[in-house]
Amino acid sequence: MSIDVASAERTIRRGKAITLAAMVGLAGLYLLALRYTPTERFEGLVQKVYYVHPPGAYAMQIAFGVVGVVSVLYLWLRDERLDLVAEASAEVGLVFGAMTLVTGPIWGQPTWGTWWTWDARLTFTLIEVLVFAGYFALRSAMQDSHERARYSAVLGVMALLLVPFNHLTVYLFNTTHPKPITLQTNKPQLPDEMLRTFLVGFGVFTVLYLGFVITRYGIGLRRAAMEADHA
Amino acid sequence: MPETGNSMIAAYIVVAVIVIGYAFTLWRRSR
Repeated sequence: MSIDVASAERTIRRGKAITLAAMVGLAGLYLLALRYTPTERFEGLVQKVYYVHPPGAYAMQIAFGVVGVVSVLYLWLRDERLDLVAEASAEVGLVFGAMTLVTGPIWGQPTWGTWWTWDARLTFTLIEVLVFAGYFALRSAMQDSHERARYSAVLGVMALLLVPFNHLTVYLFNTTHPKPITLQTNKPQLPDEMLRTFLVGFGVFTVLYLGFVITRYGIGLRRAAMEADHA
Repeated sequence: MPETGNSMIAAYIVVAVIVIGYAFTLWRRSR
């Protein structure tokens, strides 16, 4: 496998362009949520956290899921680029994880009357974030790049189990956290304006995830190319 | 309808700060 600095630079540029487009999209999402989406009758304005909190949590789940999948592929193919994708996606997942863990309590305090409760969904989200923080502790403890890639891929594969389990916590346990309203088998119980804004939120956060992870992957790729040049 | 606008604003500011902050970090690391 050969990695060259020029292709890494191209990846970084592509990632930055996508990130910029996603940030414009985020501004559009805010405008849509604040200006054109009705206010919910019982919760008031805080319900509008709904347009950023679940999409942020979904981006975290996608990011950690990608770490697991590319870790499996790394253990099979031993391509260093897959390890770099896993590293990038884990870092971006932590960013979205932090966002989820902060916006959730901001909604929970006025709605539930408490910032935090040790309910299954909240607890497992915290555990998932801590496991991926540990993933970086493990990476930084390894000097040899092949060993680092192999050990972190094993952790990435094991942590992959947390992703579907976290999604299922609201069904498996009696939780305070609401179940996903739009994933009900009957018609989504949301007015069309709210549903549209909610789906736009998912679109914006998907593009944001892609922009972040491609840029971060490009940075890792360039570092690997420079290290290979100096070796 | 309860007055919960401050919480909404706080959440939106947090999201914007995290997104802009991380984008800025990536931009600096990419130079």
